[in-house]
Amino acid sequence: MNSVLIIGSGIAGMSCAINCAQKGIHVILASPFPSERSQSVMAAGGINAVLPGNGEGDTVESHIEDTLKGGAHLAGTKAVTGLCEEAGDIIRYLESIGTVFSVDDKGRPAYRAFGGQSHKRTYYCGASTGKQIVTALNMEVRRFEAKGIIERRLGLCFHSALIKDGMCYGAMMYSEAANRLENIYADALVMATGGQNALFGKTTGSTQCDGYAAGKLFEQGVILKNLEFIQYHPTTMETSQKRMLISEAVRGEGGRLFYNEVEERVYFMEEKYGPNGNLQTRDVVSREIWATGKDVYLDVSFVGKKLIDERLPEVRDLCRKYRDIDITREPIPVAPSVHFFMGGIAVKNEHETNIKNMFAVGECASIYHGANRLGGNSLLAAMYGGRVAARALAGRESCGEHPLFERELEEAQAKLNEMADTKSTFAYAHIREMLAQTMQENLGIVREEQALTKGLEKIDNYITAAGKIHYDNSVLQYFNYSLPGILTLARAVLTSALSRRESRGAHYRSDYTKSDDSYKYATLISYDNGKYRTWLDTEGEYES
Amino acid sequence: MKVKILRQVHPGSEPYWEEFDYNGPAESSVASVIDSINFTDDIVTSDGKKTTRIGWECACLQGMCGACAMVINGVPALACETFVRDLKGDVVTIQPLKKFPVVHDLITDRSSIQENLKKSNIYIEEYDPEGEDHEHQYLAAKCLKCGLCLEVCPNYTTGKTFYGAAFANDCYLVASRNRSKSGQILDEYSKHFGLACSKSLSCMDVCPVGIPTLASIGKMNRKKSK
Repeated sequence: MNSVLIIGSGIAGMSCAINCAQKGIHVILASPFPSERSQSVMAAGGINAVLPGNGEGDTVESHIEDTLKGGAHLAGTKAVTGLCEEAGDIIRYLESIGTVFSVDDKGRPAYRAFGGQSHKRTYYCGASTGKQIVTALNMEVRRFEAKGIIERRLGLCFHSALIKDGMCYGAMMYSEAANRLENIYADALVMATGGQNALFGKTTGSTQCDGYAAGKLFEQGVILKNLEFIQYHPTTMETSQKRMLISEAVRGEGGRLFYNEVEERVYFMEEKYGPNGNLQTRDVVSREIWATGKDVYLDVSFVGKKLIDERLPEVRDLCRKYRDIDITREPIPVAPSVHFFMGGIAVKNEHETNIKNMFAVGECASIYHGANRLGGNSLLAAMYGGRVAARALAGRESCGEHPLFERELEEAQAKLNEMADTKSTFAYAHIREMLAQTMQENLGIVREEQALTKGLEKIDNYITAAGKIHYDNSVLQYFNYSLPGILTLARAVLTSALSRRESRGAHYRSDYTKSDDSYKYATLISYDNGKYRTWLDTEGEYES
Repeated sequence: MKVKILRQVHPGSEPYWEEFDYNGPAESSVASVIDSINFTDDIVTSDGKKTTRIGWECACLQGMCGACAMVINGVPALACETFVRDLKGDVVTIQPLKKFPVVHDLITDRSSIQENLKKSNIYIEEYDPEGEDHEHQYLAAKCLKCGLCLEVCPNYTTGKTFYGAAFANDCYLVASRNRSKSGQILDEYSKHFGLACSKSLSCMDVCPVGIPTLASIGKMNRKKSK
């Protein structure tokens, strides 16, 4: 192929761009903001890999096994094998382009233990692994920009894909500065637009990851997968605008979860699971906090100021800064929050969607993580997915002549103009707020049929209303035109959760509390003119 | 509390001040204040006049991405990390960064930061480190490219010739992680930073991630004298 349009410039988008550029494919890397604003910079933990010499007899096979097990055996074995086998090379590559890894006493990248894994294998860069990788990849992108192989286009928001007869020819993009739409044609389109935070309002992630792209593509015929699998982080602290992640390190250092009853603290995790109760997995802790129905706190003050200053300085500063809480003296109020989306755009092992020449990488794609994700595997999947997609693109013929989508552009522009032609002061944010409340209340950590069905009814009302309302046009047009796609995606998430009548990984149903082997497959969902259809991928068509 | 915001509809249009009332908690960040003004049912100024919603940028809302850089009470800062409780007086003034072209209200075009790095070929290319100052390199690589250091700098104007502290720190990062590129980077550093920096070091006061720019300057100058 000669050209590719990549939308999204976080780690997955940049990894794909660099790998395409190395193969001589011209890349347009389009995003609303520069890479420094991507959610990738917020990934703190690390990136998993087994390199020769990793201690304690760790093997790539063990990493594969941990990943499949962590995902409740829903991920594809071949896909996960590829991911884990290439992980060592990814670490070496990141080092070779100057990523500032934390290093051991011999100056080699250092690794540490992470939850849910049988061995220490999480390579890291202090408390800002994602940021350090973004900086290094950004410099590589710059190198190819200087050569003219990568062209960055900032200030562009996704509008829709250019699809004809099951084939993709690029995307229609909205330019903020020009306040108009434009078609960008390419031999292939790669989506790297991140997760679906906006569905839930306050989350631990970026406000930029709103799920619109997945929702719009779904309306355009792209199949989505495993939308019901949403990872909650058990310990997050609320601020007026978001939920701040309180690192697992706090519990690792001895932090205890409790709630107050009369004048007594109830250490509910220890009461139920014993002395190590606070170290249970994210799922278990999240569900237990939810089950208390009370205000829960995380106390680490008793380990002393010295240890906190040495080992938990980021948490100490975060709590002080955003809530004026001194964790050396006071407990932290915590609650679970949406943290990561295992579901998204259904892709085959080469990262291609059901639409020819349309690919998806990073968190917007559903692959590798199954029903739940291991810490340290998301950065790995972002890096690896970009590589796999680039390889597939390099092996394909260019599509040559492409159909023109001028009429579609004119129609879409006319619709935008019509939308903007209003004196309404009704803010799009009101509908987003109602949506978030519905998703938090009716989907949540523990799900059941009645609440999910009620949630669907509410979303249907929003979808009907959203199409009739005129919105305040003094905000960026993107916020207004993206609403229907976001609502459609939310409906697809609820429909998927309703269809899986079992509990598995991050999906817990109080009316079907056990895993059921007949559901040991990915959920797929399609959209056809307002109709949502789900089925199980029993043949492993999308991930094997 | 009154919140005075310098607004501007389009890149070429005249800026104007608008004043809003804010009665929320003192624990709120300025980012949260703007959000709460923006999403009342009808957005009105202090004197009850209907107006448009305030344009501004955000992404992480916790000081990790640099999107919400602006000038608050005369000081360049990230809105998500500046709190009402720390602001003096009953009036808060909020302006867009002045050293960058305004796109709309508090949104500015900071692409010159990236363009200058691109023009000067500031990329590591191949890892061949000096093997020292790991912590310093780690901090330099945390640069948000938010532009606060350039906004506060007495030497930086439009970024046409003098590229400022964000550039100097990236120069240090590249030179320290690829020795073979040191010479080339030093030339660019001298041309676009070293010869014009007056060492006010105000950049260090406002950097949200605490990059030790003085150390970067010192180490680059030391390389020059070798």
